[in-house]
Amino acid sequence: MNSNKKFFLMIIGIISMVIFWISWVSMNPADEKAMTTFVSVDELINDNINHRTKLGGLVKDGSIAISKTNYLDCTFVLKEGNTELDVKYGRTRPDLFKDGVEVIVTGQYLNGVFYADELQTKCASRYEGDLRNESSYNLNEIDS
Amino acid sequence: MIDFIRDYGLILILFILPVIFVLQPLFLPRIEKMHIQLDVADLKRKKLLIYRQIKELEMEYDIGNINNNDFISGRATLKKEVSEVIATLKSL
Amino acid sequence: MTPIAGGVALNLAFGFSILTVFTLFLHTRNGDQRLFLTGQRLALGISFFVFLATFILTFQLIQSNFDIDYVARYTSLETPFIYKISALWAGQSGSLLFWLFILSVYTTIVILQNQRKHNSLMPWVIITLVIVQMFFLILTNYVTNPFKPTEADFIVTNGNGLNPLLQNVTMAIHPPTLYLGFVGFSVPFGFAISALINGDTSPLWIQSIRRWALVAWLFLSMGIILGGWWAYRELGWGGYWAWDPVENASFMPWLTATAFIHSIIIQEKKDMLRLWNMSLIIMTFTLCIFGTFLTRSGVMSSVHSFTASSLGPIFLTFVFLIIVVSFGMMYFRRNELKSPRKMESFTSRESGFLFNNMVFVVLCFSVFWGTLFPVISEAVRGTKITVGPPFFNQINIPIGLILLALTGIGPLLAWRKTGRKNLIRNFTFPILTGLSTATILLFIGFRGYVVISFSLGAFVTATIGTEFARGIHARRKKFDESIIKALIRMVSKNRSRYGGYVVHLGIVFMFVGFTGHAFDDEKEFSLTVGETDHVAGYTFELLQLSEAERANHYAWISDLRVTNQEGTFVTNLHPEKRIYFHNNPDPNRRQPHSELDIYTTMNQDIYSIFSGVDSENGVAFIKIMVNPLVRWVWVGGFILVFGTIVALWPRKD
Repeated sequence: MNSNKKFFLMIIGIISMVIFWISWVSMNPADEKAMTTFVSVDELINDNINHRTKLGGLVKDGSIAISKTNYLDCTFVLKEGNTELDVKYGRTRPDLFKDGVEVIVTGQYLNGVFYADELQTKCASRYEGDLRNESSYNLNEIDS
Repeated sequence: MIDFIRDYGLILILFILPVIFVLQPLFLPRIEKMHIQLDVADLKRKKLLIYRQIKELEMEYDIGNINNNDFISGRATLKKEVSEVIATLKSL
Repeated sequence: MTPIAGGVALNLAFGFSILTVFTLFLHTRNGDQRLFLTGQRLALGISFFVFLATFILTFQLIQSNFDIDYVARYTSLETPFIYKISALWAGQSGSLLFWLFILSVYTTIVILQNQRKHNSLMPWVIITLVIVQMFFLILTNYVTNPFKPTEADFIVTNGNGLNPLLQNVTMAIHPPTLYLGFVGFSVPFGFAISALINGDTSPLWIQSIRRWALVAWLFLSMGIILGGWWAYRELGWGGYWAWDPVENASFMPWLTATAFIHSIIIQEKKDMLRLWNMSLIIMTFTLCIFGTFLTRSGVMSSVHSFTASSLGPIFLTFVFLIIVVSFGMMYFRRNELKSPRKMESFTSRESGFLFNNMVFVVLCFSVFWGTLFPVISEAVRGTKITVGPPFFNQINIPIGLILLALTGIGPLLAWRKTGRKNLIRNFTFPILTGLSTATILLFIGFRGYVVISFSLGAFVTATIGTEFARGIHARRKKFDESIIKALIRMVSKNRSRYGGYVVHLGIVFMFVGFTGHAFDDEKEFSLTVGETDHVAGYTFELLQLSEAERANHYAWISDLRVTNQEGTFVTNLHPEKRIYFHNNPDPNRRQPHSELDIYTTMNQDIYSIFSGVDSENGVAFIKIMVNPLVRWVWVGGFILVFGTIVALWPRKD
């Protein structure tokens, strides 16, 4: 076998190994946090999905309740369209977490409550205000 | 008056000057070959490049990255190349 | 008047770009040199108008002219001066103009650099660069124009202001640094396409762009590291890399670019790997554009994304065109891309570089796969999936370690074939170093990837040392020089090579830093004044809880005393909980922010976050993370930059 064929076979071999490796990890991730299905809140409730999932939605105004006994624990209501869902979360809350903010929660749905172990808010790389609303401009910090 | 100067000055800079700058070469006599001056500079650069390559080859040989035969043939090729460049330079 | 001039300048730039392509194309058909000169000047004209537009926008930002929508959105009267300028790249339309600005600077430099040279590639180089400019000119003129006037029924007296999260120096320089990298690869791409079109098989295009590629690579590397640094210091989740789609978007071109800057060495010396080099630069440039697209179009729901706009389809079309045209040209010139020489041995430097290329491409593909898997899965199966860091880590760690090993093996191989004697002579010491490191680590009790990573790190460091030693020894045999003098002269006469080895050392340091993750520890707890809690062998006592009202925010400050297991004082930490715009009547406009405090040593970082406060009862909620070896990443980054500068340092011509 001349060296050209050798190299060619070696390249084929490596490509096959790579495809196998990546496919294998995709099918059998070692960590349950490697891949999570993103579902809609409707789907979650209707199909009673109990494996680890990710949900997106808005924080319902006024629904954030912080536990009196453990400051880290909180509950709130996640709103996606018209569907609402109770969420429990027990870790450090991101700075931007408040009423009306868009969040992504990851965790498990059990008995009508979603137990989240991850909570993310959208990164405010832009400070979006409604520029047509005069009251959205009023930042006299330096004078106050 | 100042406004007039400012506005038209702006238009001049914005448009007319670049257009003159761009169209100017078109009024030169037709040239298809590059000036000899440019070729000399290029050849000098090429000579320097080949000298550096020879030096690097020697260094690789000293470290032991090239075997004897490859070194001799490689250096011969480079030396031939550089002598051709030097000859061309002399003729210009 | 001047804002209108800005829009007009952009229009003229677009018009000039069409004329440039037309004129230069005519020149390539009939060879008339005057057309080339005019075409060149037209290209310079494009740059002139783009510079004008950029300066005008910057001026409007500084002057706080809120009649322009962009100025009103991203600055306010209170925004500090430096951030009024950095607002230029804070938003979508401004950042696209900025991209165009950098490309125009680079194009101007390329044109001026080649004035005194007879580079037959130049016409098509300029055409290619101008076509890329044309794309961004279409975007900034007709899709997302930075000079768009503010639409409001009233006079806007003050702007929105820049988010406090973005008001720090790192965040101001991270985007431009990345852009200097992304855009920088347009130049090698232009030369590559030109070589293809001209059917030029010589290494001329590579010689023309070697330094360009290295400079672009340097900026890209710095940009990525700065992004990680900022995330670690400002975002408060304790990490510097999350395999976020936008992070991946900058990492993928970095991978193919690194392969490229190595692989072109082979083509310059041996005229091999022609096909690889052409493919690598096309992939790198495509990924740079694709990366800009991923960041700007909002197609991936990542923490970074800007809102979705019509930008997406346009970018995708451009990427598609680049791929089709470039690979089409490659197919057309497939005969010219066949190298005259063949690979001869597995233990040759040439095959080492070939392996190197393959590993980088595999790594790039796996990151690409992980990033796009959610999109593909949704298209094929209908279910939306998110792919998290564990997935990327599981696939990439082994591949990364193979790469680390190659970093050590490559330099010790000889050209064409490494004889048995040389193999033994070169590899014995490094292999012994690696094995003894592994033995010691296993003995101490470490297992798994940690052992492999540190042992390979030791192996690579030993090979770098061997390389320096071999070079110094060879010099001293020839010349009578002291070790120091030989070292200096050797590096000075071979800056690429030895600068490159220093870069490799930086990479080793970074891998050591990455490996530290395996030992991360964290804990969240609450403290009142005088109380203590423990994490990872450290004790944290809350000494004091105070409040302060400052210029643009309100702060709760915790004073933590840290002692170690023996009771010795380690440091004081003062993490703060801040609220920006605390006086704003609209509670939704008040922005809480945790200002971290980090105590860092080469050993580990103690990372403190003030997550919340119960001011009535004087309770502070603290999160502590102990992250070993993080500093090695930043030190490695500095070494990498230093090595690259050595490699780039100009020699007197």
